[in-house]
Amino acid sequence: MREITYLEAVREAMTQEMERDEKVFMIGEDIGQYGGAFGASFGMLEQFGPERILDTPITELGLTGAATGAALIGMRPIAEIMFMDFMTLASEQLVNQAAKLRFMFGGKATVPMVLRTPAGSGTGAAEHHSQSLENWFVHIPGLKVVMPSTPYDAKGLLISSIRDNNAVVFVEHKLLYKTKGPVPEEPYAIPLSTSDVKREGKDLTIVATSIMVSKSLAAAELLAEEGIEVEVVDPRTLRPLDPEPIIQSVIKTGRVLIVHEAVKTGGYGGELAGVIAESKAFGYLDAPIVRLAGRDMPIPYNRTLEINTVPQIEDIVAKARDIVQGKV
Amino acid sequence: MMENRVQSISKEEAAEMLRLMYEVRAFEEQAEKSYMMGKIHGTMHLSIGQEASAIGSISTLEPTDYILGHHRGHGLCIAKGADLNLMMAEFYGKEVGYCRGRGGSMHIADVAGGNLGANGVVGGGLPMAVGVGIGLKMRGDKRVLLSFFGDGAASTGAFHESMILAVLYQVPVVFICENNQYAMSFPARSWTTSERLAGFADNYGMPGASTDGNNLLEVKEAVQTAVDHARSGGGPSLIVNNTYRWRGHSKSDRNLYRTQEEIEEWQDADPIRRYRKLLVADGSFTEDEIDVIEKDAYEAIESARVFAEESAEPSIESIEEGVYAP
Amino acid sequence: MATDVIMPKVDMDQETGTVGEWLKKEGDTVKQGEDILVIETDKVAIEVEAPASGILSGILVQEGETVPIATTIAYILEPGEALPDAAKPAPAAQEPAPTSDGMVARTDWEVPVTPVARNMAAASGVDLTAVPGSGPGGRVTKKDVEEALAKPTPFGNGQGKVYATPAARRIAEERGLVLESITGSGPDGRIQAADVLNAQAVVPEMPAEPDFDKLSPSSPPAVEVIPLRGMRRTIAERMAASYQQIPHINFTSRIDMTKFNEVRGELNSYAEKTGSQRISATALIVKVVAAVLARHPWLNSSFQEEEIHLYRDINIGVAVALETGLIVPVVRDVVAKSVGQIAAEVKDLSTRAREEQLVPSEVRGGTFTISNLGPFGVEQFSAIINRPQAAILAVGATQPEVVPDADGQIVVRPIMHITLSADHRVVDGAVAAKFIADLKATLESPVLLLL
Repeated sequence: MREITYLEAVREAMTQEMERDEKVFMIGEDIGQYGGAFGASFGMLEQFGPERILDTPITELGLTGAATGAALIGMRPIAEIMFMDFMTLASEQLVNQAAKLRFMFGGKATVPMVLRTPAGSGTGAAEHHSQSLENWFVHIPGLKVVMPSTPYDAKGLLISSIRDNNAVVFVEHKLLYKTKGPVPEEPYAIPLSTSDVKREGKDLTIVATSIMVSKSLAAAELLAEEGIEVEVVDPRTLRPLDPEPIIQSVIKTGRVLIVHEAVKTGGYGGELAGVIAESKAFGYLDAPIVRLAGRDMPIPYNRTLEINTVPQIEDIVAKARDIVQGKV
Repeated sequence: MMENRVQSISKEEAAEMLRLMYEVRAFEEQAEKSYMMGKIHGTMHLSIGQEASAIGSISTLEPTDYILGHHRGHGLCIAKGADLNLMMAEFYGKEVGYCRGRGGSMHIADVAGGNLGANGVVGGGLPMAVGVGIGLKMRGDKRVLLSFFGDGAASTGAFHESMILAVLYQVPVVFICENNQYAMSFPARSWTTSERLAGFADNYGMPGASTDGNNLLEVKEAVQTAVDHARSGGGPSLIVNNTYRWRGHSKSDRNLYRTQEEIEEWQDADPIRRYRKLLVADGSFTEDEIDVIEKDAYEAIESARVFAEESAEPSIESIEEGVYAP
Repeated sequence: MATDVIMPKVDMDQETGTVGEWLKKEGDTVKQGEDILVIETDKVAIEVEAPASGILSGILVQEGETVPIATTIAYILEPGEALPDAAKPAPAAQEPAPTSDGMVARTDWEVPVTPVARNMAAASGVDLTAVPGSGPGGRVTKKDVEEALAKPTPFGNGQGKVYATPAARRIAEERGLVLESITGSGPDGRIQAADVLNAQAVVPEMPAEPDFDKLSPSSPPAVEVIPLRGMRRTIAERMAASYQQIPHINFTSRIDMTKFNEVRGELNSYAEKTGSQRISATALIVKVVAAVLARHPWLNSSFQEEEIHLYRDINIGVAVALETGLIVPVVRDVVAKSVGQIAAEVKDLSTRAREEQLVPSEVRGGTFTISNLGPFGVEQFSAIINRPQAAILAVGATQPEVVPDADGQIVVRPIMHITLSADHRVVDGAVAAKFIADLKATLESPVLLLL
């Protein structure tokens, strides 16, 4: 199978859906001629024209609300917020309107929109351009939150998100854009709310999101040399979560390490820990549920500090080893 | 001038507009009574005194056109043809209400019927209005949207971003500012004037107009022009209807920020009384005929009240329905 | 300058030392090198010399007290020198003065405690300050201490709640193990699943043997002690293991031995005439059992943890009673042998068994065991399965019994009681029942062997 980048996979998903369904359009800043700040919509203005690729001035709130309104009367917009940090500006329309219109109107409205946003640190962009805020939106009923970790998952999940009849927040990690992987050429939909076991193992379950999935898989290879076999589970959709594969994995291994880039306090790991502790897996835990996540601080500019702010492969290896060796 | 306006409207249409204004007035008065009797949960925002702005604007629409409102939106919903029983039931939080009792006063909507909802966030509807316009234009749809907001919303970032985007995409939306002189307690005159509010139109690059919001026919004429402009592909307009709300912002408002004289002065300019006077003077209707219209309106509201009070509450079993679409 | 007198280390693995005897007392002038005390370790009592000359002062450790090695136990001061602050002895723990009614009151609390309660608390590590006293004046009594011991205390330090992972608790409950008896290998002594899996089952304590010598003292001693060795030990371990680990089900059947006896009689007449091997009852039973086992393979099998092994060959062990034990030599491949061969083998094996002349290969490889206590007059008994086999047949004596015949008439027949004990993990009730029915039919009509 041919290999393409995560970014290309995102673009292919949007292109194929826009070809298939004329109700799909894009709206965002610098997505037209510029091709998107990260190149996600490169070439799409030429293919679809300014009628369907809507460039906007700096109006996060306005464009998010516009997507909401268009969706309300039956269109299927894909809005792009250039950096997840700017979701702060878009939140009124996303949280108070898009998430709630259906419920508020007694189930008699739908808002089928996707809001894509690049997130995460590692590019030296510092405090205002590096955050991972997905858990804010996991907290909002009415929204769906998706975080793909591979090009294959990105294309399949984005196609499903566009076809979904709800407001979906689709979070792409900037450092994943250049990663390559096998991706089928034809359109395919990976159902939302399906967790994926990316690697099987018997000694420890690692539940990881976004870029931490590949780091965890790399850590797993190193741990295998020490005779520790790690199982890596990728939820892919954070809300609504598919908990069953995670629970079954923890029952199998008896130990779980949750890894995500976002700040630990109030991060998705707490939600996962609660889900696991409340499940049947509790009776099979032979070690505490451990979360490895970003430090409780903004992302600093200095490169070394930036790297040390979020979990790296060595951190995952060390923590996994400690758990399996009964030191935790 | 005035006579021309009056003569260009048929007797049926005039009766219809008058009926709607009385229904709004009766609905609001009943809402107030029900609330004071403890039958209504939460709060409500009455639009008594603003009937001409609602009916005058919405009477320009085809039945399939859209409106998108604000939190003081009962009048807008009724003007758009809402079923009074279902509206009252929603107000009472009942299952059969427009939003199954989940929305209440501030969020009444009937998307299928073209009413894209009242909204609890000041300025919350404006960006969505732009999006509705984008969708209509993309589909080559000839329908238009009236997007209502107040002077309070005119200070929000949402308003300004929406103006910019509306002009950029030339959306078929008429933005109607119901300037009732106060945000909640903050007087509009502290930061702007009705001229400057209307002046935003020019500033952002769209046609605009300012009206005596309590003059039904003046409102209707201004909005009609804007609607025709939008429907023919001419893009958005901004209309400022200068009016007044007789009651406080909400039920908990003690009206300390304005004087009794001011309130009474505006009440003298009661839009319903003015239109009624006009029709009688014109010879279109007798006082008795209008009395009948008024009485029918109040009876319809009374029926709606009974209907609402006798309707069933939503069930707990259905509590989580409607969060996600399948 | 004060010189420390320390408890010295004199043995290789010594960690503490006890002051045996002070040879000098507080205030005595001593010379460097002079013996000033005797200390005791596990192995020796040894004198300790003064490390300096001066006045022996500030004795901190009294005779009979034990301290870790290198602990300062006294000082040697220069004349006029004061003791270092660390040496100032704490106010001596006064022996609590008895109250007027003989109860002992602690001076550092308000509440008195009875002497037996104090000793009991000290022995069992109970903190007396936390025990409410129910005696007069709030006195803490023995009953109070007993109640405190019975109550779970706030957890930590192994008192009360157990620190264990959820997985450990689940496994312990499944296996009927007591967490309190398991040592944890996790952080802070947390009990992990592995600890429970490795733990031995906690067996309820056996009641103490009565002291017979005390109860009936006279010669010879009331109890003769035999050490558990050799065959006895092996039998004890094997019987216990089999009984504990294999769920036994037992099936008894009464066999009418009329025809069996006739057949054996005929066989033995022939044997006498031809001078060939006499057929014992046991040999013929072995032959019949093997023929029937061939039709019921699940009784000729073994439970092997994750598998069940069904054996092709039928090798029957015949239990032989010895003077001080029992042994089970095996007749291999019974199905292929004639009754005469079997009889000869059984006789040979039994004889050599009693003479302790069997070789190891002769007691291995059995797939089924028969134990015949008929010659001893035992009517009926059930045996313990010979691991790792799945079944054993216990054969009792053949005795005349009153039974109804086919027409309901009362007759007297020779009846033998047999009891099959089977491993219920492998052998279901119905399977065993079918085997027994088949065996009964064939024993009662040995001509069926011809089929």
